[in-house]
Amino acid sequence: MSSGALASLDRRLLSGLCWLLAAIWVFGLVLLPQLFMIETSLWWLERDPQATALSQRIDRLYQEVMLRELDLQAAPVERRPLLEDEIARLREEIALLEAREQQPVKVYGFANYARMSGLHLQVFLRTLAYSVLVTLLSLAVCYPVAWTAARARSRRGRALLLLALVIPYAINELLRVYAWLMIFDYEGLLNALLVRLGLVDRQSGGIPFLTYPFTTFVAMVYAYILFMVFPLYNAFESLDEHQVEAARDLGASTWLLHRRVVVPHARPGIAVGCVMTFMLSAGSYSVPQIMSRGLGGDWFSQLVYRQFFEANNWNIGAAYAFSLLLACLVFVGLVMRLFRVGIREIAR
Amino acid sequence: MNGGGSRAARFLLDLYVALFLAYMFAPLLVMSLAAFNDYPYPSVTQWGGFTLRWFPALLQDERLLRGLAHSLVIAAGVVAISLPLGLAGALVLQQLRGRAAGFLYAVMVSPILTPGIILGISTLIFWRELGVPAGKFTATLAQSSFIASYAMLMFLARLQRFDPTLEEAAYDLGASAFLFFRRILLPFLAPTAATAAVIAFLQSFENYNTTVFSIGGDWTLVTEIGSRFRFGLSPVINVVGVLFVLATVVFASLWVWLSERRRAVR
Repeated sequence: MSSGALASLDRRLLSGLCWLLAAIWVFGLVLLPQLFMIETSLWWLERDPQATALSQRIDRLYQEVMLRELDLQAAPVERRPLLEDEIARLREEIALLEAREQQPVKVYGFANYARMSGLHLQVFLRTLAYSVLVTLLSLAVCYPVAWTAARARSRRGRALLLLALVIPYAINELLRVYAWLMIFDYEGLLNALLVRLGLVDRQSGGIPFLTYPFTTFVAMVYAYILFMVFPLYNAFESLDEHQVEAARDLGASTWLLHRRVVVPHARPGIAVGCVMTFMLSAGSYSVPQIMSRGLGGDWFSQLVYRQFFEANNWNIGAAYAFSLLLACLVFVGLVMRLFRVGIREIAR
Repeated sequence: MNGGGSRAARFLLDLYVALFLAYMFAPLLVMSLAAFNDYPYPSVTQWGGFTLRWFPALLQDERLLRGLAHSLVIAAGVVAISLPLGLAGALVLQQLRGRAAGFLYAVMVSPILTPGIILGISTLIFWRELGVPAGKFTATLAQSSFIASYAMLMFLARLQRFDPTLEEAAYDLGASAFLFFRRILLPFLAPTAATAAVIAFLQSFENYNTTVFSIGGDWTLVTEIGSRFRFGLSPVINVVGVLFVLATVVFASLWVWLSERRRAVR
């Protein structure tokens, strides 16, 4: 039937359009950029290794040119065009070789990764360690909050509590971190308080909190802690009230209830919260940029930024960025294995 | 018993949540307060008296206003790009089964699990290789790469509730695929599309980490705020903060109110 054939034709057209758009997204916006970044991390520019041999050859050619020029002066008129041609040819060859001598060559290898100095490696590891700490602390702090919100008795109470959590969550990250800058600054709230209490001498200019990595850590916990609350809340909320009651009726203590009923049920939510919090912390550029003033407080993202926009060494920058991505992938893999959840449960 | 245990335990839990909320809101209060302080540097400790003069000062700030305009342009671009891509991705995933579906799904959600700075960097490098310098265009694409993932997840969740017999019925009645798409699928997806558009817009507008790496010499409102922390910090930034807080309170209240009402209706 012709109408059937036509229908299947435009069904295929529509489906083809979907595939095309999906391919543009997956390849054009996700995979190819990542591949280009990895490729960039695998090469660097180097002086041509044959440069010394080249420069010797160039010197020899210059000598020949000089000899020909001497010949030219002594030569009879009819031989001159020949000599001039030859000189021109030699000069051309010299120009070519000189261009090659100065042109750095692309060398492929893993050296960009190995080039991470001791200090940078230390910052890398510290960033990961701090991010794990941010994640664990967020989990511990948020667990009771999310539990209370999910188990709130009245719907109104729950809606209000959710609202109170959504508001700070939705306020721009920079501004929330800025609030902590105002607390930790030299003239900030904390120093003013310490002066008032007589613990710090006003003349000393206050305690330079911003030079300690600790302040970056505090602001980071504040910035990303709510990314833990909502996945936990969603997981707790879907837990059947009867299961909780049954456990209670059977005499389970609060500890046992959570260990045997709530946590096993909330595994995917816990995993999502941990992955998001860790990833945001490890890759955060905003928080350290605002909070750290010292040499000691550097976050790895700042080193990446400097490689790109200050040292202008994109190859090393790409290697650093990919190292960070690998660390995050390893963390996601570990969390998925620890909580025995699949990718479909992680990203929902 | 409502899962809460004894009365004392419940009281402690409530107290704990109250403390947590204080921890969430106190810094914002400090930041907002400084917007009304008549003192040239953002501060709450050096109180120079109450003033509103930083609000009109914001309107004199050319770079912030232009940043706002750039933010709106980029956010509109992100909505226009990430919604179709996310929808196409969800429809493709629905046609697949088994291993291929799992793999494609992982690729499509991977941008959400990738640190934002890396999305910015990879986009920057890719487009430079193609000869396109960093700017609003690359920032739009870098943001779209992960915002499309959010759109895809939302469309996918909605599509799972789609009744497949509707599709069969439409084709049996002789509808073309495009007619089916336009008259049945799109209306079904419209509420999700509206939510996805709002979320995509806000995600783009608020984004910093991805944008700062991919926007080159251009700037958005948020990257401009970011650059002020090192140079030229003034209470004008606190005014921006107050406005953000106000807008967020209004938006979030509306959002929670709407979703509660929807739940009550259901």
